[in-house]
Amino acid sequence: MESTRGSSAGRRSRRGRRLASAAIAAGLVGVTGCGSATAADSRTTLDYWLWEAQQLPAYEKCVDAFEAEHPDIDVRITQYGWDDYWQKLTAALVAGAGPDVFTNHLTKYPGYVTRDVLLPLDSLEATSDFDGSEFQEGLADLWRGLDGRQYGMPKDFDTIAIFYDERMLADAGMTPEDLEGLTWNPEDGGTFEDVIAHLSVDANGVRGDEEGFDPNNVVTYGLGSNGSGGDGHGQTQWSWLAGATGWTYTDAKVWAEEYNYDDPRVQAAVDWLFGLVEKGFMPPYEQIGSSPDPAQQLGSGTAALSPNGSWTIGSYTELDGVELGVASVPIGPVGHPVSMYNGLGDSISAQTENPEAAAQFVSFLGSDTCQVIVGEQGVVFPARPAGTAAAIEAFRAKGVDVAPFINLVEHQYTVLFPVTTHPADVLSILEPAMDAIYIGSRDASSLTQVNQEINSLFE
Amino acid sequence: MTQLQSATGPGAEAIARRGATRDARRRRRPRPSAGRVIAWVVLVVILLITIFPFYWMLRTALSSNSALYSNATSLLPVDFTWGGFARVFGLQSTEEAIAAGGSGADMNFWRYLANSVIVATGITVCQVFFSAMAAYAFSRLRWRGRNVVFGIFLLSLMVPLIFTLLPNFLLIRELGLIDTLLGIMLPGLFMAPFAIFFLRQFFLNVPLEVEEAALVDGASKVRVFFSLIIPMSSAPIATVSILTYITAWNDYFWPLMVSYTDRSRVLTVALGAFQAQSPQGGPDWSGLMAATLIAALPMIVLFACFARRIVNSIGFSGIK
Repeated sequence: MESTRGSSAGRRSRRGRRLASAAIAAGLVGVTGCGSATAADSRTTLDYWLWEAQQLPAYEKCVDAFEAEHPDIDVRITQYGWDDYWQKLTAALVAGAGPDVFTNHLTKYPGYVTRDVLLPLDSLEATSDFDGSEFQEGLADLWRGLDGRQYGMPKDFDTIAIFYDERMLADAGMTPEDLEGLTWNPEDGGTFEDVIAHLSVDANGVRGDEEGFDPNNVVTYGLGSNGSGGDGHGQTQWSWLAGATGWTYTDAKVWAEEYNYDDPRVQAAVDWLFGLVEKGFMPPYEQIGSSPDPAQQLGSGTAALSPNGSWTIGSYTELDGVELGVASVPIGPVGHPVSMYNGLGDSISAQTENPEAAAQFVSFLGSDTCQVIVGEQGVVFPARPAGTAAAIEAFRAKGVDVAPFINLVEHQYTVLFPVTTHPADVLSILEPAMDAIYIGSRDASSLTQVNQEINSLFE
Repeated sequence: MTQLQSATGPGAEAIARRGATRDARRRRRPRPSAGRVIAWVVLVVILLITIFPFYWMLRTALSSNSALYSNATSLLPVDFTWGGFARVFGLQSTEEAIAAGGSGADMNFWRYLANSVIVATGITVCQVFFSAMAAYAFSRLRWRGRNVVFGIFLLSLMVPLIFTLLPNFLLIRELGLIDTLLGIMLPGLFMAPFAIFFLRQFFLNVPLEVEEAALVDGASKVRVFFSLIIPMSSAPIATVSILTYITAWNDYFWPLMVSYTDRSRVLTVALGAFQAQSPQGGPDWSGLMAATLIAALPMIVLFACFARRIVNSIGFSGIK
């Protein structure tokens, strides 16, 4: 009895299965039918992804201008926030469903180059005449792969400077001029630390350089915090300190196979910075959490000096009740200030079905026309000098003098963002180590061991 | 008090009884005793603690971003504005939104809402229906290998979703379903191990006699399923439906992967535009809080309508 029942059930389920598969097939036919109808357009459609929402309007204008020049090409812009962007982009590239052109970052592109998901620009007709000298000094080199080919069209660059509130300075009896020409060294912090101490105020109104300052009950910290910096090589946190000692991340400009985190200079700089926590001059890790917001610290009066990247200028200009000023990072032992110099680029996916159209678009993104449009928006500094000039003008119209960001580039007082293979692995080693130093459970000499771990990635 | 009186003798009993009824009357219109007051105070405090985060969201949503940081502790909205909500509904121009600290992303709110409703409803209806059928098969039909298959289903509960992400995504791409609502729904459309497990446990409790009686009366297994099992399990089915709906509504990463344009963008993904867009940049707090409130609203309504159902099903006994 058991067996007959089993077989009848089997027959029934087989019929069911046939029905089900027919239903699914019908559904699929319907869906793919729809899909091909939209694809049967004679125009070429390009997908372009970016993460910076504030720049979206500028790039929409660029796309309009590009489409006017190339009526046969449609560009569709999609924007996702930074975290979502990289998750979606990576998975989409693995699955072969990525965009044709996308905004690329130096922390990510070496990984893409080694996985062969990018097309070199020089292999395509529209971008074959790429000339790196048309961009701000050094930016194009960052996007040259190990094989010497160009994997990104320089888009914009960023540097670090210090934001402050003039009213807070006035309360401390200081003027913006007092922030000019500050010196710093990792031993006693120089005049930079004097200023930070003076701008720190505890709950009783005692300043950091006065008798009786309580470092455990601080209302205003002299220096704002942007976290430990382990997730981005200390770009906004300590790159400008370590760089001002003459230290560089790697010996070779790009594609080095050895990091220099075992250098006593970087370790001294890091120790000095996070030593400020104990002195009550910088917010401790537990106060700012894992997603610090330096603009918020300045706006709320929690911090007086807020070092940050040029791409965040917009977050500062919108702060209410802050008379915004921008100062240069301090002069270090090398005799001048140093900023990290980082650049974004536009890359073409190797999966694009229209590489030539994509190259035409990328070529346009790297042109004066588009970069001036972007510059006029006053959000970032475009990579072409004409675009940079437009941006300086736009920022001036908003009441921000961005000279401290630009001057260091003009004098080449910069340290480049490290471009090496294994970018994600390097940061995954560095981040917990830097966090531990910020928290205070380790000191910067532990970076020697970390450096060994990082360098063993390249063996 | 009444006990003491009753102990004094039969004559006092009448008084005691009267006292008791007076007590009862008093209980109906209670004069606040210390214990009661404390209980109420505790209740109100807990209520306030529960409601406060929602109030704080509302307060932040109605503040303007630029003034928020300098008045971080203000209990009332700072520099009152509807801007946060306007950005959520896509009523602000891009320039206005950026000037107010928002992102430049276009918001097509009603479209996203419709997409979310379609996806969550589709997944709920299909998943619960198919899972109920599977649960019936696992609980009431006897077939070879049943327990092994059920074990495999349970095992799949232990596979982290991240493992199936890429294979699923590749499949959806091969099927040409990228950027479609069907593509978003498909992985959850047929069955969910949890729903099967949950419903199976309830189906096992439906008395065998009831089912046998129906079979004797000539009902087929299919008929039994539709006219007996489902009606008798309406409470757990409602519970699992609500849970499925909430999960589908809140899902973020999978819809983010599959959707490329507005035509398949669901609300949760669209509201990602209010989070920080670039590293070291702060989020659009007032927009984010407005968005979170709006996105949570359907869930709050769902709970308000079905809360009793959920509670009931927890105490579900099997026979009524």
